[in-house]
Amino acid sequence: MKQVTARVLECRSLYRDTFVLWLEAPEIARRARPGQFVMLRCGEGYDPLLPRALSIYRVRDGDGGPELGLLLEVVGRGTDWLSRRVAGDTVALFGPLGHGFTVRSASTNLLLVGGGIGVAPLVWLADEEVARGRSITLLLGARSAAYLYPALLLPPEVELVTATDDGSAGHHGFVTQLLPRFAPWSDQIFACGPAPMFQAMTAPLRAVQYRKSCQVLLEQRMACGTGICYSCAVETRRHGMKLICKDGPRFELRDVYA
Amino acid sequence: MRLSVDLAPQRKFGLTLINPVMTASGTFSNGIEYRKVFDTDRLGGIVSKGTTLRPRKGNAQFRTAETAAGMLNSIGFQNIGVRALVEQVAPVWASWRVPVAVNILGDTPGEYAELARTLDGVPGVAALELNISCPNLELGGMEYGVDCDAAAEVTAVCLRATQLPVIVKLTPNVTDIASIARAVESAGADAVCVANTLLGMAIDTHTRRPVLGRGFGGLSGPAVKPVILRQVYQVAGAVAIPIIASGGVMTGQDAVEYLMAGATAVQVGTATFTNPLAPLTVLNGLERWMQDSGEEDVRNLVGAARSIPAATHRLRTAAGS
Repeated sequence: MKQVTARVLECRSLYRDTFVLWLEAPEIARRARPGQFVMLRCGEGYDPLLPRALSIYRVRDGDGGPELGLLLEVVGRGTDWLSRRVAGDTVALFGPLGHGFTVRSASTNLLLVGGGIGVAPLVWLADEEVARGRSITLLLGARSAAYLYPALLLPPEVELVTATDDGSAGHHGFVTQLLPRFAPWSDQIFACGPAPMFQAMTAPLRAVQYRKSCQVLLEQRMACGTGICYSCAVETRRHGMKLICKDGPRFELRDVYA
Repeated sequence: MRLSVDLAPQRKFGLTLINPVMTASGTFSNGIEYRKVFDTDRLGGIVSKGTTLRPRKGNAQFRTAETAAGMLNSIGFQNIGVRALVEQVAPVWASWRVPVAVNILGDTPGEYAELARTLDGVPGVAALELNISCPNLELGGMEYGVDCDAAAEVTAVCLRATQLPVIVKLTPNVTDIASIARAVESAGADAVCVANTLLGMAIDTHTRRPVLGRGFGGLSGPAVKPVILRQVYQVAGAVAIPIIASGGVMTGQDAVEYLMAGATAVQVGTATFTNPLAPLTVLNGLERWMQDSGEEDVRNLVGAARSIPAATHRLRTAAGS
């Protein structure tokens, strides 16, 4: 874990309430893996006080080494401040933190399941695994078409299947309702989204008798991001109390959700 | 420049810190995570996560909430229990130069005594910090810290059960913190820590519910500093034993203010959540302040602002009027 003050390279709106923030933080970008996160200060004074946890969205090559990309949805004061950064500003952050996704060497077909802003770490995972020749299908759910991550920004090799709550794009309903069609094909599932989405994944996966690995990235209120504050505790079914920031954020779905 | 301070001057071997900057309980886990982040042996001391006799799962979510220049927490003592601490963690501490105090919390005076006995003579454990001030539990915790007799009793039973120096961590949620400090000093406490978190709450207007799972939680961070600074000043006017200040220390400047109010050492807590290097930032800031001011010995700062003898009295009168 490195604590750095990074220069903002770019900050722009991608789609509804959602921005991409590119930072010059090669020390962090070089060590990071898909599914890991960083903690970002959202201001220079004491208010807001706590750093925000953001999943790493993408890493790209730049002149000064690998650049760190973060996808942020403006939901409060912290993310609003971040979204208003311009090139040349600096932000303090530390990371990479936590344990990212692990793709088994024998896995060929990867099913990615994203809900809302939860798409962020899945994009980078798709980038990397497409490059390794794996087949990727991304099931993506959002409130409406305007909140869907743009298909054009994904590697062309990724099959994108969408669902919206209001039916304005793709399947009319929850993304989890697509699981019975795609889960049997996959060798591994990787998911990131809100807690209700994870809960809603259990029944369809049970229905198709899915016994392979389904890794989920959990989220919870965090103060520290490093395992010292015990804010983000989760009770696992087989391994007792765990901290999402330090022991996760990647967990097996079945170890958390029944 | 002399930075070292002694937190147990009445003891034969004392409790010497190489500098007055410690970490606060519950904000540094058991110190192991940050060993990889910075050289924690540079710190004056580390205080462990609150430890109970048996392992505890802690409270339901949400456990924290951000507030204006501060945060609320209601963690509820999720910890591995004292036996696992002694077997698995203390041996790691024993190889460190930085002294570690174990923060202990019991449901009864008997449990405090058993904790103190279990930790007595364990290599790696330099002192005990009695938590009689946690606002986040049904039993134990704060109820011992709001009553002079109960605070003195818990202090006394622990002192009988161990040879370790005993620091008593007080709650700020009392009318007269000086009287509690005097009571634990009379019971033999080596030092007092001023203070634990201020009881507070936050409400989510969308759900129309308190944010924290348990409703109330402890407020910490820069928001509480003026309150705790006042309490350190008051306690310094009431006791002769060393005071450890804990309340929103973010910078070396904050540390200097607490020392001048009468503290011998400071604990850095919530600041570490905002910046993993915060304890070092505070230490470096303190050293720089001393250099810039031509101050040679940190002990000269202790109580330096206590130039108004009547201030304690006046403050109490003001609060009572």
